[in-house]
Amino acid sequence: MGGSKMDVMTSIDSGKLSPKKIALYVVLALAAIGLPLYFQSVGNAFMVHIFALVGIYIMLSLGLNIVVGYAGLLDLGYIAFYGMGAYVGVLLGYVFQGITGGPGSALAGFSYWFLLIPAALAGALTGIALGTPVLRLRGDYLAIVTLGFGEIVRIALTNNIGGLTNGSAGLPRVGEIIVPAAGQKWVYLNLSSANFTFSKDLFWYFVIVALVLLAVFVIRRLDNSRLGRAWVAMREDEVAAAATGVNIMQTKLWAFSLGAMWGGVAGITYAYWVGFISPESFNFMESVLVVCMVVLGGMGSIPGAALGAVIIAGLPEIIRYLAQSPLLSGVLTAEQASAIGDYRFLIFGGLMVVMMALRPQGILPSKRRARELTEAEAIIEEENESLWEAEHKHDTPHGL
Amino acid sequence: MTIGKSKRFFALVAVLASLTMVVTGCGGTSADTTDGDAGSEMVEIKIGVSSPFTGDVAALGLGIKNGATLAIDEANNDPELAELGIKISGFFVDDAADPKTGVTAANQMVSDSAVVGVVAHLNSGVSIPTSAVYNEAGIVQVSPASTNPALTEQGFANVFRVCTIDTVQGSFAGDFAIDMLGATKVAVIDDSTPYGEGLAAEFAKQFAARGGEVVATEKIQLKDQDFKALVTKIQALDPDMIYVGGMYTEAALISKQAKEAGLDVPTMGGDGLYTQQFVDIAGAANAEGDLATSVGLPLDLQPKGVDFKAAFEATFPGQTIEAYDTYAYDAAMVIVEAIKQVAADMGADQVATPAGKQAVIEAVAAINYAGVTGDVSFDEKGDTTNKAITAYVVKDGAFVPYEQ
Amino acid sequence: MSIDLSTVPQQIVNGVTLGGMYALIALGYTLVYGILLMINFAHSEMFMAGAYFGLLFLNILSKVAFFTSSTIGFILLYVIVFLLAMTCTGILGMLTERFAYRPLRHAPRLAPLISAIGVSLFLQNAALLWISSRSIPFPVLFPVKNYRIAGANVSTLQILIVVSTILLLIGLDTFISKTKIGKAMRATSQDRDAAGLMGVNINSVIALTFFIGPALGGAAGMFSGMYYGNIKYNMGFIPGIKSFTAAVIGGIGNLRGAMLGGFILGFIEAIAAGFLSSGYKDVIAFLILILVLIFRPGGLLGESVVEKV
Repeated sequence: MGGSKMDVMTSIDSGKLSPKKIALYVVLALAAIGLPLYFQSVGNAFMVHIFALVGIYIMLSLGLNIVVGYAGLLDLGYIAFYGMGAYVGVLLGYVFQGITGGPGSALAGFSYWFLLIPAALAGALTGIALGTPVLRLRGDYLAIVTLGFGEIVRIALTNNIGGLTNGSAGLPRVGEIIVPAAGQKWVYLNLSSANFTFSKDLFWYFVIVALVLLAVFVIRRLDNSRLGRAWVAMREDEVAAAATGVNIMQTKLWAFSLGAMWGGVAGITYAYWVGFISPESFNFMESVLVVCMVVLGGMGSIPGAALGAVIIAGLPEIIRYLAQSPLLSGVLTAEQASAIGDYRFLIFGGLMVVMMALRPQGILPSKRRARELTEAEAIIEEENESLWEAEHKHDTPHGL
Repeated sequence: MTIGKSKRFFALVAVLASLTMVVTGCGGTSADTTDGDAGSEMVEIKIGVSSPFTGDVAALGLGIKNGATLAIDEANNDPELAELGIKISGFFVDDAADPKTGVTAANQMVSDSAVVGVVAHLNSGVSIPTSAVYNEAGIVQVSPASTNPALTEQGFANVFRVCTIDTVQGSFAGDFAIDMLGATKVAVIDDSTPYGEGLAAEFAKQFAARGGEVVATEKIQLKDQDFKALVTKIQALDPDMIYVGGMYTEAALISKQAKEAGLDVPTMGGDGLYTQQFVDIAGAANAEGDLATSVGLPLDLQPKGVDFKAAFEATFPGQTIEAYDTYAYDAAMVIVEAIKQVAADMGADQVATPAGKQAVIEAVAAINYAGVTGDVSFDEKGDTTNKAITAYVVKDGAFVPYEQ
Repeated sequence: MSIDLSTVPQQIVNGVTLGGMYALIALGYTLVYGILLMINFAHSEMFMAGAYFGLLFLNILSKVAFFTSSTIGFILLYVIVFLLAMTCTGILGMLTERFAYRPLRHAPRLAPLISAIGVSLFLQNAALLWISSRSIPFPVLFPVKNYRIAGANVSTLQILIVVSTILLLIGLDTFISKTKIGKAMRATSQDRDAAGLMGVNINSVIALTFFIGPALGGAAGMFSGMYYGNIKYNMGFIPGIKSFTAAVIGGIGNLRGAMLGGFILGFIEAIAAGFLSSGYKDVIAFLILILVLIFRPGGLLGESVVEKV
């Protein structure tokens, strides 16, 4: 792949926004700010909770998108970094409480804000520690190693490793607390009115939105940087990329640790928001779901990763909510409504198959990728051959 | 092409937006139902019921749903409630035995302003984080099955449970093993859940304090099926008994595999084992002589137990009564009783207001109700004062109360 | 902590039985991977489906008096039940390929993975909602005896499972290496397009792969039902992950590697749970996996990968 072609593609991505797009972003921004406020004002705490939860998954999906979407490394244990961030955040929080004079002190409330960066580092360092020995493994071998690592972390947490994690009962232990973040009480006292409570979930929702925006900003910058181009080059052809001077190990390690870093940020945020963590929240299925978000949304695409998270984290809950809502209460008995809720994973599994069949490249694929795909198809005319096969022919000397 | 793409994106956003509009609409109507015409029609009051309807322990979770359904049906046939102008309905939400899903489920229930109390949850690991949600919303939580002491030690005034805590049950089992079974060496296994860990630790503590020897303390993972290696290891240590802190599936497999390996000693556990499923999975021959403790007195010895059995069989033909069905029934009935009192004091239309919900919490705290599991009342922490525990033994393929 | 070595023979027996089941399931992963380069996540549900089909046919056929009246009847009963269950599971596998994976044959490489996860969720929840949320007892209709061999207890079931597993493995190995269809499969896995040009019907080879893999997984599911005495809608999850691990340890895409990996993993687990800690047995298994891959990045029997330009 020549440099000039790369430049063309980069310019597409960073090109000026069309008016339509600007309008779209404005609508989205208004909805993201307005809808939770509206739901809160009608007392619908559930939807606020779902918004915040989806926000956490958007952060995870964006982080994993660096690893899977940009660098092309399949990571099936991403949730381990999320767990690391959560546990490190809570455990260091106790230390912070100790230093600042107990959970009741005014300063203790700053533990979340203060520990955000250490938790991010904990994620990143775990990524480097795992990545250094294993990143030279090829695609699916890497996948299984990360899967194993995720399970190792979860089981170690369950077995109360070092007497720190309180096993399956989770943190905080009885008598300990995760101090609410500074600011939470302030907004509650100052922004609430007679018929509007500025609740904890709403506060955290806005914190999460801010972090997601930060992630989008950082990732966009990375995507258009030298590193981002190195990722693409490496993903498309490792050998050619190495030949043109890309340091493969270092490039992979950057992707791995930057992705893990966002896992750590999401982890500590989740822990301080919900106020309780246990190893069960960091299981293999969660890792799989985050991979699904990235792929379903469209690999390597920021709006795609976000949309994937909205669909996968939000849709089953919305199905369940609609089934239970008074709108349908005339039609459905409580029994039937509950049964529909139980069917949500069945419906969801079927939908995943259908969606992939209709849009195999994801719902909102990255333009750069889409373009690569069409050009490759143009080269191999007539034959219904994909780039994927073309690029994989060379590294498959396996045979049964 | 760019325009086409963004158009499609726009269409998608429009779909999502309209979806949220529908949701919005629901939020609106749900707020209306309780303010509306209270005088002319019955006031609808909801009791939330949340337990795992899917997943590993779905059998127990669905049992809780059955028990609560029976209570709600019975309440609606109660002329006293009809006279007060109240109709009670259930709000059933799956918590999948998962803390995250549980917190979401809790938020869903408290978002419906007609919900004045919840029968929730099965797992301690779910009940603990959700209790904060119910506390914030100011509605009463009565857990039918979460036995980890930490739940009521958080100091929330709205949290109650009708089952005894692990400390009571675990130490009862420890005494029982020494006094009634004459065990001296026991292997203790837990299933890496808050329930199993807590129970196994309490048992081991009491057993050791009474002079018994704990020869092995092991952990297993849920969903695992192969315990042959573990059983072989335990067999070499020659215990008199295996104590399993956990649920019936794993415990039954351990019992079965131990007997198949020739380790012919009883397996004992807590209320998580007290279900016919345990015998079915282990096989009647292997389960013979295995023991389980459970809260309250045996169903047949309870005045209301026979009625419960009859009602259950009439409503759910072909299903069996699971370990926590009766607790769920009592938990729901406690809330119904509290609703009755509050409605009588404040009027039916006031029950679902914040003040009414607070009054329900207070009424539950002071309740004295003759339930299927025994007399239900709560201490200052919210734990049941009914500390009767019965030991059951498998005899001829079914659990029967243990007799010397 | 003292280690009692007298249990070593017993732990080896435990490990070999478990390993045999892992090997059977791992073959399904490795076959599909060899042909399509795809991790078939839904394979764990084939294991589950096999157990359910087995129970269904066992319940139906055990009502026929002929099968339960004599030893030969019993043997026939189990052979027929196994064949029927394997066939049905194989057909289910072909159906998933036809409807979920074939439309994605030219899609980006992670797309089929997501479809497979969707199929897995669908099948698991279908079994949960339409059959039962509970464990269902799986009867063993013949008397199980224990034999004392070299200091270990070995049951009739364990012998049956290990012997049938080995027969199935040898059968498959012969099929792949000796028959014409096997040759077509090998050719397809080496270069799908060239094989197509040489007159191999790619679609039937892939369909056949999706018959054989799930059929073997289904057999493992039935063994599991007999061995542990019950089946459940989510029974495939743990063996699925473990067997995938086994396939990778052996070198994914390599049939003999999958067999070897299965037995090694079963053995490691038994030893880890028996002599170290049952709470950490999976940690130990995964650590060994990571170590194997660090030193042999292609797995034990996988060819070392030379990246060609």
